[in-house]
Amino acid sequence: MLALKDVGKTYPNGVHALERFSAEIQPGEILAIIGGSGCGKSTLLRAIAGLDPATTGAVTLDGAVITSPHAKIGIVFQEPRLLPWLSVADNIGFGLADLPADVRRARVAAALTRVGLADKANAWPRELSGGQAQRVAIARALVPQPEVLLLDEPFSALDAFTRRDLQDHLLDLWADTRPTLILVTHDVDEAVVLADRVLVMRPRPGRLFEAITINLARPRDRNSELFDTFKRRVLTALDRSLDRSVRDVTDKSSAGEAMWW
Amino acid sequence: MAMTVDLPALEQTAAPRAVSARWRHARPALGLLLPVAVALGWELVVHLGWSNGRLVPPPSKIFATIVELARTGELSRHILATLWRVGAGFALGVVAGTILGAISGYWGLARRLLDPTVQALRAIPSIAWVPLFILWLGIFETSKVALIAVGVFFPVYLGVMGAIASVDRKIVEVGRIFRLSGPAMIRRILLPAVLPAYVVALRVGLGLGWMFVVAAEFMGASEGLGYLLIDGQQLGKPAQILAAIVIFAILGKTTDWLIEIASAPLLRWQDAFGARGGA
Repeated sequence: MLALKDVGKTYPNGVHALERFSAEIQPGEILAIIGGSGCGKSTLLRAIAGLDPATTGAVTLDGAVITSPHAKIGIVFQEPRLLPWLSVADNIGFGLADLPADVRRARVAAALTRVGLADKANAWPRELSGGQAQRVAIARALVPQPEVLLLDEPFSALDAFTRRDLQDHLLDLWADTRPTLILVTHDVDEAVVLADRVLVMRPRPGRLFEAITINLARPRDRNSELFDTFKRRVLTALDRSLDRSVRDVTDKSSAGEAMWW
Repeated sequence: MAMTVDLPALEQTAAPRAVSARWRHARPALGLLLPVAVALGWELVVHLGWSNGRLVPPPSKIFATIVELARTGELSRHILATLWRVGAGFALGVVAGTILGAISGYWGLARRLLDPTVQALRAIPSIAWVPLFILWLGIFETSKVALIAVGVFFPVYLGVMGAIASVDRKIVEVGRIFRLSGPAMIRRILLPAVLPAYVVALRVGLGLGWMFVVAAEFMGASEGLGYLLIDGQQLGKPAQILAAIVIFAILGKTTDWLIEIASAPLLRWQDAFGARGGA
């Protein structure tokens, strides 16, 4: 289990980016983190990844404190960040250098087929479209079979059709080994399609505002009324998170529950 | 499962393709057009007696001089002497430039310590070292090789340092995510990332090496292409000077081309304007 306890981050230049963020994320859970810009979403993700460790509090995975990149935590960035001098297949196998060559080749071949790019194995990254490149990046992160996959606005640079396509594809891949997914996004639609739980953050300093459980069965119908209800709920929370007159609320709630406060 | 829609590539008609294939083969020859035209033109001018060609000998005379030098074995002796000097100076300059450039590029502290001094030395015109090198190292091979090495060192140092310092942080982060050790980070991320800039630095360095070998051979040599130049000037043999210049051009271009050929397989991945032959 991934546990965040009072995670805070102050950068050396004095910017207080994140304050006392706590959450427990169950294995296999899909968590979306959403919020306006400057609310510490990416800071939080980078702390979990061990790239920029938290200055206060702790991130623990199965009890081990994360202070540097960890074998069981993978990450997909906003840009594919493929290594331009490696073929598509070698990019996917980049994290498998410790394995014997034949095992590596087999795993890479399976991953290529899984993301529908078997015919691009020997292509250079520059020959891929944006969507294809991001699929390679997802495959590269998933092929070492991480327990936690972090995604930092992975689809925001793509057009609407490709984005929708990749959202479905991500769920498909997730179903194979069911890692914990933590997705930072700006896109309410994306959060509601993918997540079991949406954490809404508020800025200055970045902190948790509200957690919304999306108890909708998968596959989710983007056109259903219930889907809309959840979307509206997240949107309302987002609006309120940016309204300074509203105090922090961190209670869990779902659209079905009455708001008793 | 995700769907991708791959549009079939637009069919090109056969005719333009055939033309472009022929064009591709003809393109390298295009660069020869101007020099060949000038050479033939001058040959004709001298042949028709419009000029006596004494100070600017026609290509046929230059060619005859080269053949004559080659026949007596003089030519290969001079070429080998010059090649050896350039080779040794280039090797020394590249090794020193690469090591110091890599250290400065990799460690901020080393850059702050080392770089200002190197930059100050770079500001000195390298020929200014000649008297000192002769005093220190004598007038024979060592001082010549040292001068060439100095010429090669600076562009290689600058190229390596700049390339390492400007490797994309985002790519380095990919290495960190996969927990590469220091040596693995250098081998799998930094080296391939700096390779294109390194090749450019080597080519610039080699160009300077050829420039400095002439300066080095001017400072008293008994063999080498630079000696042929001086000898031709003192004995009033412009054809010999031009022959040496032509051979310099051929050797310079050939060695540059060798670096290009050797590095091409390593740089196939580049997505650059130049890599596609430009517009």
